[in-house]
Amino acid sequence: MEPSPGSMPTSDPPDTAPRAGVSRCPHCGTRVEGAVDAFCCAGCEMAFAIIRGSGLERYYQEREAFAPRPEPLAGGWDALPVEPDEHGLCEIRMAIDGLRCASCVWVAENVLQRTAGVDEAMVSYATGRATLRWDPDKVRLGELAGRIAALGYRPRLLGEEARPDRDLLLRLGVAAFAAANVMMYAAALYAGWLGGMEVRFVALFQWMSLILATPVAIWCAAPFFAGAWAGLRNGVLHMDVPIAMAVAVLYVQGVAGTLLHVDTYLDSMTMLVALLLAGRVLESRGRRRAAEAAVTLAATVPAMARRFAGGTVEAVPSVQLVPGDRVVAGAGEELPADGVVADGEGALRMALLTGEAAPVQVGPGDRVWAGTLVVDGALTVEVTEAAEETVIHRMAEELRAAADRGARPSSTDRIAPWFTGATLLIAVGTFFVWWIVSGLGAALAASVAVLVVACPCALALSRPLAAAAGLGAAARRGLLFRSADALLELGGVDVVALDKTGTVTAGALDVIGAGDDDLRVAAGLERYSVHPVALAIVREAADRGIPLPAATDVQEEVGIGISGRVDGTDWSLRSAGAGVVVLRGADGYRGLIRLGDSVRADSADAVAGLRRLGTQVAILTGDHPEVAARMALSAGIDRVEARLDPEAKAAWIRARRDEGHRVLYAGDGLNDGPALAASDVGVAMGTGAASSILTADGVLASGSLRPLAVGIEASRACRTAIRWNQGRSVVYNISAVTAAALGWINPLVAAVLMPLSSALVIWGSSRVEAAVRRAEERTV
Amino acid sequence: MNSIAFLVPIAVGLAAIFLFLFLRAVKGGQFDDLDDPPRRILKDD
Repeated sequence: MEPSPGSMPTSDPPDTAPRAGVSRCPHCGTRVEGAVDAFCCAGCEMAFAIIRGSGLERYYQEREAFAPRPEPLAGGWDALPVEPDEHGLCEIRMAIDGLRCASCVWVAENVLQRTAGVDEAMVSYATGRATLRWDPDKVRLGELAGRIAALGYRPRLLGEEARPDRDLLLRLGVAAFAAANVMMYAAALYAGWLGGMEVRFVALFQWMSLILATPVAIWCAAPFFAGAWAGLRNGVLHMDVPIAMAVAVLYVQGVAGTLLHVDTYLDSMTMLVALLLAGRVLESRGRRRAAEAAVTLAATVPAMARRFAGGTVEAVPSVQLVPGDRVVAGAGEELPADGVVADGEGALRMALLTGEAAPVQVGPGDRVWAGTLVVDGALTVEVTEAAEETVIHRMAEELRAAADRGARPSSTDRIAPWFTGATLLIAVGTFFVWWIVSGLGAALAASVAVLVVACPCALALSRPLAAAAGLGAAARRGLLFRSADALLELGGVDVVALDKTGTVTAGALDVIGAGDDDLRVAAGLERYSVHPVALAIVREAADRGIPLPAATDVQEEVGIGISGRVDGTDWSLRSAGAGVVVLRGADGYRGLIRLGDSVRADSADAVAGLRRLGTQVAILTGDHPEVAARMALSAGIDRVEARLDPEAKAAWIRARRDEGHRVLYAGDGLNDGPALAASDVGVAMGTGAASSILTADGVLASGSLRPLAVGIEASRACRTAIRWNQGRSVVYNISAVTAAALGWINPLVAAVLMPLSSALVIWGSSRVEAAVRRAEERTV
Repeated sequence: MNSIAFLVPIAVGLAAIFLFLFLRAVKGGQFDDLDDPPRRILKDD
């Protein structure tokens, strides 16, 4: 939902004031020569018709930005394995890109809602994510996704929705309720020490505290006990262990103290649990958004294939194809299986596998892969591998397996064993010293006090709170992290390696060289075409503010080019090899239009931002060194490693790591999987055609590299906050444990000291967002 | 001071009512999404 005030109908800059006879396409706002309200293309006319047909014309008055120009949607949606529930309805979640304002969300939601067969459609105003329930007998998912695409928005499939943390919230509610009440009794008891209190009231308050603290210790703190137990069973002493120990000691002391009429620390225990649960809730909320960004790969192979059998063509499910079958696929279709071209010529878009945007020309004998899109021509393919044997399917499986890589131990978890060990040791030492000096009773009291005040609260809170703030700060700027660990790792990065296609560059076919006049004529001819070259030419004309001229007698010959009349003369546009089209007029050659992958507009800025943070930036690409060097130059990158295959990229990264560097890798292709896994922090592009997202630690949601630098700043701010918090907590614990060992601690001192140390931690964490904002101001 | 015997249960009871309401709201899904509903009410249809 990026606002784009520049494209508001009312904010036309004066220098582009309408020339005579120039109007704007009512749907997407592209300038068009000729009559008012002429559509720029068939797609926009269709979108307008859908919106009108759904009775949602209000959208055109209320929207704050023009809609994007509709482009055809790659197929494969119907191949998704979705199971109907007991009501016969299917449910799926998708992200919708290109929603620019609240009205866009409204129109997308209502168009879906008013489509026959849709039970419920909800599009989030906050995130642009949609939840769709539909009846598979009445409407296909492909049709629904197609309707979104027809409006100009891009649907993308989302992974499993992270479950909301209701359970933690319930526990937090109960713990907070108990803590507030127990603290009230504690305040009364402390007042009683000074003013004197009847024994029966002391007993009443202690028993009430115990009653309220019991569910907290048993139910609310259960996640910590479960975590500690799981850790101990695996031989790991992580942060849950000292927490569980503290809660257990405090509660057992509380039961014993209540029965024996000794002071208890139950107020500290309930508050400890409530604060720690609050930290958990915050952390899990911060993580949820990133988890949702995981995209599945299922929507890549079409459900049905057209199989040649005995001179006729029959439709069969793709999964039923066997090696030796012959299948046909025309322009706009995706190949259903891996194979070899038997007959026909055509251009294939293989971005999914290679990350390269430009279509590849194939002919008889060439190897082709399932999931690639036929852009041009028609192919007959002899199947060599089908269904689960296809490359795309195997890659998806590998990615899924790699996505389950284990969590790294955090710095707090590394402290935990020392903390636990030291506390236990001091407690035992205290017990023996006091036993020898003044007997068993005093020894027990002092050693329990040591265990009580050696509160891991501040230590345990320092990370989740700072991480939640950091995850939130990064997420608001378009960088979503799967875990707090990956975010914290990011701050130590000193080498940033970038994939070229789709990462530094946009990964789409763009016009990279053309004269305005040539472009105007070409755009007129290509207005109604949905060929990728046509879409690129019209997009470029619209970006330059060139009004699209009217064209007549337009003839499109698949695989060859397009011709027609513009301004009363005949023109033709022909492909002339890779990335070049030639425009000819009635009197012959007129000009060239070059197409290619262009560097993202903000890549140079992003690289400059990374440099300012003291990181080295390098491009890793499988491309030709010359091409790569040109790209690198325009993006401001001086280090280029060209002609690297996926394994070589991973090897390069491992070599840098062996030299002691910390490496961040950002890439978007399936082929980036090994490099993403080899790096310290792997970041995938949210707009990537394929889903490297599963192997990555983080996702750049908007498809811009800019949030990387902010993310590093956020991570550094987090690391600083956590170091400070841990430092404070260590100072607190050393002084408090010393005091306890000397017998100076009583419940009142503990009740003051423990929340004080937690408050310091909360204050330290709250400065993360402010630090990120300051860093952002410096870089803008 | 004997009033304490009444006041303590009353205080716990009052707090318990709010706890009950909170737990019901959580179970009802009111805390699942804190971003979208506040924007949704601004758009009437």
